[in-house]
Amino acid sequence: MEAIDSSAELELYTIPAQSSWFLWDDIHEIERREFEEFFSESSITRTPKVYKEYRDFIINKFREDTSRRLTFTSIRKFLVGDVNLLQKVFLFLDKWGLINFSPSLNDNDTLSSVDNAKVEQGTPAGIRVTATPNSLRPITAPPLVEQRTVSGVKLPPLTSYSDVFSDSKKPDDVLLCGHCAERCDSAFYQHNKSIVNICEKCFKNGSYGGENNAADDFKLVGDSAAALWTEEETLLLLESVLKHGDDWELIAQSVSTKSRLDCISKLIELPFGEFLMGSTSGRLSSAVPTEDEDTEQVKTDVQEHEETETREENEDEDGPPAKRKRVALISDSDSSLMKQVATMASKVGPSVATAAAKAAIAALCDEASCPKEIFDTGDYTDSTVDRADGDKDTEMEEQREEKDGPQGLPVALRIRASVATALGAAAAQAKILADQEEREMEDLAATVIDQQLKKVQSKLKFLDQLELIMDAEEEVIEGGKETILQERISVLQCAFRSGVTKRWDHTYVK
Amino acid sequence: MKALGSSGWKGPVKFRMPTAENLVPIRLDIQSEGQRYKDAFTWNPSDPDNEVVVFAKRTVKDLKLPSAFITQIAQSIQSQLSDFRAFEGQDMYTGEKIIPIKLDLRVNHTLIKDQFLWDLNNFESDPEEFARTLCKDLGVEDPEVGPAVAFAIREQLYEIAIQSVASARESRLSKKGRRGSDHGSASKASGLSMDLVKLFSFKSSVVRKRKDLDVYEPVVDLLTSEEVDALEAREERHAR
Repeated sequence: MEAIDSSAELELYTIPAQSSWFLWDDIHEIERREFEEFFSESSITRTPKVYKEYRDFIINKFREDTSRRLTFTSIRKFLVGDVNLLQKVFLFLDKWGLINFSPSLNDNDTLSSVDNAKVEQGTPAGIRVTATPNSLRPITAPPLVEQRTVSGVKLPPLTSYSDVFSDSKKPDDVLLCGHCAERCDSAFYQHNKSIVNICEKCFKNGSYGGENNAADDFKLVGDSAAALWTEEETLLLLESVLKHGDDWELIAQSVSTKSRLDCISKLIELPFGEFLMGSTSGRLSSAVPTEDEDTEQVKTDVQEHEETETREENEDEDGPPAKRKRVALISDSDSSLMKQVATMASKVGPSVATAAAKAAIAALCDEASCPKEIFDTGDYTDSTVDRADGDKDTEMEEQREEKDGPQGLPVALRIRASVATALGAAAAQAKILADQEEREMEDLAATVIDQQLKKVQSKLKFLDQLELIMDAEEEVIEGGKETILQERISVLQCAFRSGVTKRWDHTYVK
Repeated sequence: MKALGSSGWKGPVKFRMPTAENLVPIRLDIQSEGQRYKDAFTWNPSDPDNEVVVFAKRTVKDLKLPSAFITQIAQSIQSQLSDFRAFEGQDMYTGEKIIPIKLDLRVNHTLIKDQFLWDLNNFESDPEEFARTLCKDLGVEDPEVGPAVAFAIREQLYEIAIQSVASARESRLSKKGRRGSDHGSASKASGLSMDLVKLFSFKSSVVRKRKDLDVYEPVVDLLTSEEVDALEAREERHAR
């Protein structure tokens, strides 16, 4: 109802222009068409009277407080009738803007629905898989999840309810181990059925006290030790993920100081962790090729160093989500680090790779203060490019050693050189991408500026037109003034001619 | 025959779930080898039967259950499906039947109590849509609540649909020629449907009386984990 006057009795309600057909006293054709079931006289619960009552009630309810968004659930309790039908009426009114029509009301919904996506860890409780008929501890399979609490308390990802609430149960109590009666400092194990807690040491010793003998019945509570991840642990984690894929039990065992949940959460926090999980989970049952394991063992110490380097660089590159192809590179390739590095190098042209190789060798030799000539074999650059084809690393090693013959370069040095090459190549690629990005940014900025200019210009045009209109109106008004003046004069003349007294004249003029 | 054209009585229709999508509620509760698997979901009966085994295998794999569960899950699903299909050939009365549906369920930490009216004759009804609106309007954040509510509604609808098949069979066996009033008594005999004539007559208003408002209002409670544990312990005891 677009009330035209806003007197004290009527209030002004806004509805969209396309709903101006709405009449308070009548049912419009649009409504009849939409709700045929009410008007077909086929049922006693659906009559025009009923429809009008529903409609009027809902609209009135909304108008009691137009600033709040009316929800279906809040009015459904007031009306008797099939809830599905009521919802249909409600949605109809909402769609036509007869209720809930107000700019502030409509935006909130879309925003809030996007933010509050919450997924739980593990299997939903509706599906209960319990270890024993008595035990309440669910066996969970770990999917990728995140959780956000409304209260704003920052919990580490994958906190289960038991972690959150069992911590809050005893915040102040001093936790004493049930077995050795010492304080449990950081982490303690809590028995499922009873309230016995034992400290970490006792748990590891296997002395659970009394008849609590099953290690399964204990769950780890407390996470102060779990918050910190050292480099070695992260490295272990990555390696074990690549080796074991989806099997979190084994991974937790390899990374001995961290529980399964911590491993999962840490892996997700790593920028490419999710891709690792995605790629490895697809190969659940596949056995890891043993050659990779051997090569990895041969070059462990060097590799660890390089891996952290590569990882750092990967983190830098993986940051902006637009660099999908760079990230996809890592996940698609095989597990061997060297192969990954080699594929990275192979993405740039061979000339770039050669240049990078030369520069890398130069830098390396300056570092190691050994003559450049030891690297000076014609096959060297070819072999790095060949490696990109995915030959086994051990084979390459043997080949190169054969070619070099008596020179017998140490394996470690060679590896460092090749990896440095690859990194140089990767750096070149990164620079190219960065330049591209810059150019794109400049382009976009130019477009934005263009648009702004256009906007300003059109506004100016508009103002000019307004001015013209104003001028025209001014003229018209002037003309009007003139005519009015003329008429006054003629009236006065008539008055004088008919002999009106002076006094009238004065008052009139005033 | 009485001119009860306004009662909306249609001829008997073939049995199906009186919702927009003909989905069957399936409940599983299987215990073997010291493990217990409880679940509740909806199934589309027009899916091919081999899907059941595929589903059972996938579930067992995802939840890391022992493989003995596969056959048991598949059997349970298939028996419930064949129960449903047994009804499918038969008729059910679908007169104007507005029944109250009650919700009283606990999903993780959320407790929902609600009551509302549902028209069995409305074949465009959608329990999932209703559950979605309920959760959205009440700000329920747990994403498991919606499907659980929809499932509870479907289960009740299923029960009542089965009852209406039974009553249709009974009234067919009884004397013919009393169709009109018979329908009225059939719907009343179920004891659930509302007295439509009284409610929707000219004099009465469709707005609910104040005293009934509390009953029909949804109530959502969030429990602490201690209460949840207590409730679960009680449920386990009852189950035995």
